[in-house]
Amino acid sequence: MNSQLRLPFYLTWQYIRRGKKWTLALTLMMMTIAFINLIFISSLFAGIIDGSNKQIINTMTGDIYITPPNGQDLIYNKDKIVRDIEAVDGVLAASAQIRVPATLEYNHLRGNWQILAINPDDERLVTNLADKIVSGTFLTQDDEDQIIIGRQIAGGDGVEENAFSFKGAKVGEKVTMSFNGFSKEFTIKGISYTKFLESDKRAFISEKALSKIIPSTQNSATTITVKTKDNTSSETTVAIIKSKLDNSNVYLWSEVAGMMKSVGESFVSINVLMSFVGVLIAAVTIFIVIYVDIVNKKKQIGILRAIGIKPYIIILSYVILSAVYSVIGVALGTVIFKFAIIPYFQTHPFVLPICDAVLVLSNTEYIIRAETIMWVSVISGLIPATITVRSNLLDAILGK
Amino acid sequence: MQIPPGVPDLFLPIPIKQELGSVMKKLAIQARNISKTYYAGTKKFKALNEVSIEVRSGEFVMITGRNGSGKSTLLHQLALLDSPDVGEIRIQGEITSHLPESRRMGLRLSRLGYIFQEYALIAELTALENVMLPAMMLGSSGLAKRKATDLLNKVGLEQKFSRLPSQLSGGEQQKVAIARALVNDPKIIFADEPTANLDTVASKDILSIFKFLNEKEGITILMVTHEPEELSYASRKINLVDGRVV
Repeated sequence: MNSQLRLPFYLTWQYIRRGKKWTLALTLMMMTIAFINLIFISSLFAGIIDGSNKQIINTMTGDIYITPPNGQDLIYNKDKIVRDIEAVDGVLAASAQIRVPATLEYNHLRGNWQILAINPDDERLVTNLADKIVSGTFLTQDDEDQIIIGRQIAGGDGVEENAFSFKGAKVGEKVTMSFNGFSKEFTIKGISYTKFLESDKRAFISEKALSKIIPSTQNSATTITVKTKDNTSSETTVAIIKSKLDNSNVYLWSEVAGMMKSVGESFVSINVLMSFVGVLIAAVTIFIVIYVDIVNKKKQIGILRAIGIKPYIIILSYVILSAVYSVIGVALGTVIFKFAIIPYFQTHPFVLPICDAVLVLSNTEYIIRAETIMWVSVISGLIPATITVRSNLLDAILGK
Repeated sequence: MQIPPGVPDLFLPIPIKQELGSVMKKLAIQARNISKTYYAGTKKFKALNEVSIEVRSGEFVMITGRNGSGKSTLLHQLALLDSPDVGEIRIQGEITSHLPESRRMGLRLSRLGYIFQEYALIAELTALENVMLPAMMLGSSGLAKRKATDLLNKVGLEQKFSRLPSQLSGGEQQKVAIARALVNDPKIIFADEPTANLDTVASKDILSIFKFLNEKEGITILMVTHEPEELSYASRKINLVDGRVV
């Protein structure tokens, strides 16, 4: 490389090496903050979307959700079907549920909630309900008179839907389940709290308990939820399960997420909008920081021009300087974000009605935002440097 | 004029052309009727008013005049840092008034040296690097370093190559600026009140360097000053009053 081509890099290196340390530190701090701001908002929304998706999957639908064939209320011979599904490559576990069209009553308070009869052992493998019992314990296969109720059913101080709940039902107390003129008393064995409102408005009994009441429900289900192994393509697994089940409807969890899918899509839209605003703010911030830096060097640029340094060398030296600022800003931002901010929010997540959100940053999002910062920086260096180089030479020398 | 037959060549215009050519060659700078007006809002100020000057190669010319007389403006035009509104400037015979900035910059780099009143060194570069910078535009950095080292030695800054401008005195900074102006072997040096910010000792030091460059190296020097005692260093002075040569 001849010395003329090396000159911009040489000048940049000397500006960084011997320039005012405080100016350099403040510029890098601004770049770092601009980058963190850009990835923070995106990561937060991604975290909320990811968190709510996981809530749906882990507490309600599993990765794959199977409903009865069209025109039927039940999936029959469910034990065999569950075994067949579990034999499919990529499937970790499957669990069948029967929805019980009943009402629950406690202390003269009555309500219609979703009551599901489950095989507790299977359910443990598909959803995380067993881990979300905040009072009492989860069901076992042989529980015939016990019931698990969600926090929104139990109610109590601080419960979001306390007005429509049992207003403080406790473990060990009795609730009455009624349907079709038949009633049975259950003891509350546990209260589940998933932090996902829809999930916390459900109650669970064992399938053994239900079959005692309605023997015809034995070996049948209204839904089957399936958990797939990590790194398994759920779409492929859905296709395989569909081929094994003649008529049942097999869905990806996202297809049955209902309102939550819309919520997720809304968050995606808001995220796009916020990202755009974030990029704009970052762009303006970086532009101002670099612009001020270069405008302050107007006289220096004038001197370089006066002694015969070619304009492209001067412009390139500031473009490289801006690029270096951005690379260091992105690097510092990445280190702070990865090793300080993400770990902090993992231990102190944002508590939302649908989930506890942590920060999630995909590689693609990271690369896009890092590239954005770099391009904005380069342009922010290019524009003022070009303007200054094209300005009246005497004005530049005199710093006007 | 009709030349009769048999008249010797003596009367042909060729020798006249030759004489003009040799005069042209000896002229380092020639300015004809240059004017420059500055505008500040609706007000205008005529800094130069049809100024014509000639500076021969090897001259040491000082431009004097009161503040606002147009000294620096004239120097800026002649050193190609600015363009006159009207008039023509020739540097070593080349008309420069209408040259594109790229060519003017090339001339500034290779044929002219400029020394500013306030030194105008790059703050982030050492003395050596400041001097090397223009030379790096024309050759390898190795050669630039050798030339810069040599020049800094000549101006007496042997021990201060690695000092930043902020670590040098005013006189030392001006010496670095002189070395920088000389690094590409220019034939003409312009200096705009180079001693204005210096004490008497440093001023004499700088003027001695100019004298040496002019007398020993044959470099044409055009310097602006308003110090009467400095005029003794010059071979000629040009006095400006209200933008006119008097």
